Amino acid sequence: MDLTTNHFLFVSAALFVIGMMGVLTRRNILIIFMCVEMMVAAVGITLVAFSHETATINGQVFFLFALAVAAAESAVGLAIVVALSRQGRAPDVEEMQTLKN
Amino acid sequence: MTVHLENPDWGMVLPQLIVLALAIVVSLLDAFLPREKHFTVITGVSLVGFGAAIVALLTQKGETGETFHGLFRLDGLSIFMNLVILIAAVLTVLISASYVEYLDSKMGTGEFYTLVTFAVLGAMLTASAGDMIMIYVGIELSSVATYILTAFAKRRGTSLEGGLKYFMLGLFASAILLYGMAWIYGSTASTGLDAINASLTATLSGEDANAGMLFGLLLVIVGLGFKLAAVPFHFWTPDAYDGAPTPVTGFMSVVPKAAAVAAMVRMMVQGLDALSDDWTIVLAVLAFVTMLFGNVVAISQRDVKRMLAYSSIAHTGYMLAGLAAVQVVDGVANERSVSSVLYYLISYAFMNIGAFAVIVWVQHRGQGTGLDDFSGLASRSPLPALAMTIFLVSLMGIPPTIGFYGKYYVIVALLDANMLWLAISIVVASAISAYFYLRVVAVMYFQEKAADDTDRTVVPSTLLNVGILVMVVGVLALGLFSGPIINLANDWTNLFSIAASAAGQ
Repeated sequence: MDLTTNHFLFVSAALFVIGMMGVLTRRNILIIFMCVEMMVAAVGITLVAFSHETATINGQVFFLFALAVAAAESAVGLAIVVALSRQGRAPDVEEMQTLKN
Repeated sequence: MTVHLENPDWGMVLPQLIVLALAIVVSLLDAFLPREKHFTVITGVSLVGFGAAIVALLTQKGETGETFHGLFRLDGLSIFMNLVILIAAVLTVLISASYVEYLDSKMGTGEFYTLVTFAVLGAMLTASAGDMIMIYVGIELSSVATYILTAFAKRRGTSLEGGLKYFMLGLFASAILLYGMAWIYGSTASTGLDAINASLTATLSGEDANAGMLFGLLLVIVGLGFKLAAVPFHFWTPDAYDGAPTPVTGFMSVVPKAAAVAAMVRMMVQGLDALSDDWTIVLAVLAFVTMLFGNVVAISQRDVKRMLAYSSIAHTGYMLAGLAAVQVVDGVANERSVSSVLYYLISYAFMNIGAFAVIVWVQHRGQGTGLDDFSGLASRSPLPALAMTIFLVSLMGIPPTIGFYGKYYVIVALLDANMLWLAISIVVASAISAYFYLRVVAVMYFQEKAADDTDRTVVPSTLLNVGILVMVVGVLALGLFSGPIINLANDWTNLFSIAASAAGQ
């Protein structure tokens, strides 16, 4: 069996949906970060697959930028979690209930 | 495949370079200047830097072109958007200087302005983008800096909580946006907006777009909908706006939103205008739901800051309505649609940052942000109460304020596009909004404060007073003299001519 672009697209779509379900169902903030990272990585597979399919370089360049952005975002996210834990709060979305109308 | 490297045209990116230099200078000043000089020097340098960027931008008026291999574009849209963003930046510096120094955050003026400047830079780059890569990187730069600003008062739990919610949903949204861009890239074999447009026009020729293309379009609308705070993707907005330090709330209600609007215009109008039949109807429905939901929920709020958060959701709805009126017929877009959105953004910058500025002023007098904190404000301090009244009346959309002209141009654009139902719903939504805006005015003028505790700590606020004065003048004058502004906004249509001239070479 030959591997075609579609195989890569299916794998990446599956990973993207798994990550998305994780974001929507998990309670722990760190796990949610990991799920979002998984979504970004899944998009990477799509971009590189399309880059190969269309014989253009843009997709691979795009993913390099996206990776750099994702790294910066994780740094910010972890900093916020550290600041929260300094106040003695657990990294749990259930505890984020102070702001309510 | 050969790659031709050409020298970029640095003059074209001068305003952005000035803002980048400002960010670096401010962060160095923060590190090396004695602490007691931070307030005056850093605030002054920021104002001068943003002012210089505005001057550099205005000298580019009327020019068009692209550089960095089409990543960066200079056209009417980028000039107007950059102008709005820089004006919002100046207003933010004016209202946040004393707040950061004396209240809430107390985290250091330097860090604060560095982040503000980077957020402004990201928004400016998004507005000048000619490529999906640039749009993504620009919008993320502005978002990441704003996440940190939201959580800036790190000793206050609500600030961190709002920042975390904003951060997590923003991250989720950008993953969705990225996936949508990947599918658009896969369907058109390019990330450049003009190339996407050309490829779509060539392959479509009257036929329906393929499923991958429409999937990408849908994901991009969802991703940008999150950034714009459009219903049903708004649920981070009230908590993030409520938790953030008040000047940041004013800032984030304008600058990241302007970036998202710019990204929407670039992606939809410049890149995907061949599919305008598909996306205008989606945007129209989003606009309708957003403006009604925002205004109806704002009625039940008892906190002025949170009420303005919902009101800013409603204003997103008005902007989306203007975009929905684009209606490309025979490759020609409805000229008034995007220019009405651009005008709306500039009016929104003045009146919304203005309203938050008065909340900041009240906080400088040791009060909170609740409705009760505003009771009897008119008898204690008549001028801020008058300013707040002017801003709220403008947000409501009553002549002769700038808010009225903003809504007027959007409605005219909608009538041009034969979307009477959406024009009527703007009027109805504005009528609903009168209830909660006028309630604040009534509380300020006709209610006495139960316990007289006006003698709390008063913090000096000279720059803030100047800022409020500038915004009052802007709200009153820019509406009456809206002609030149709308002319400048009409230049946005030259974004199509660059592609045409490049193809003709």
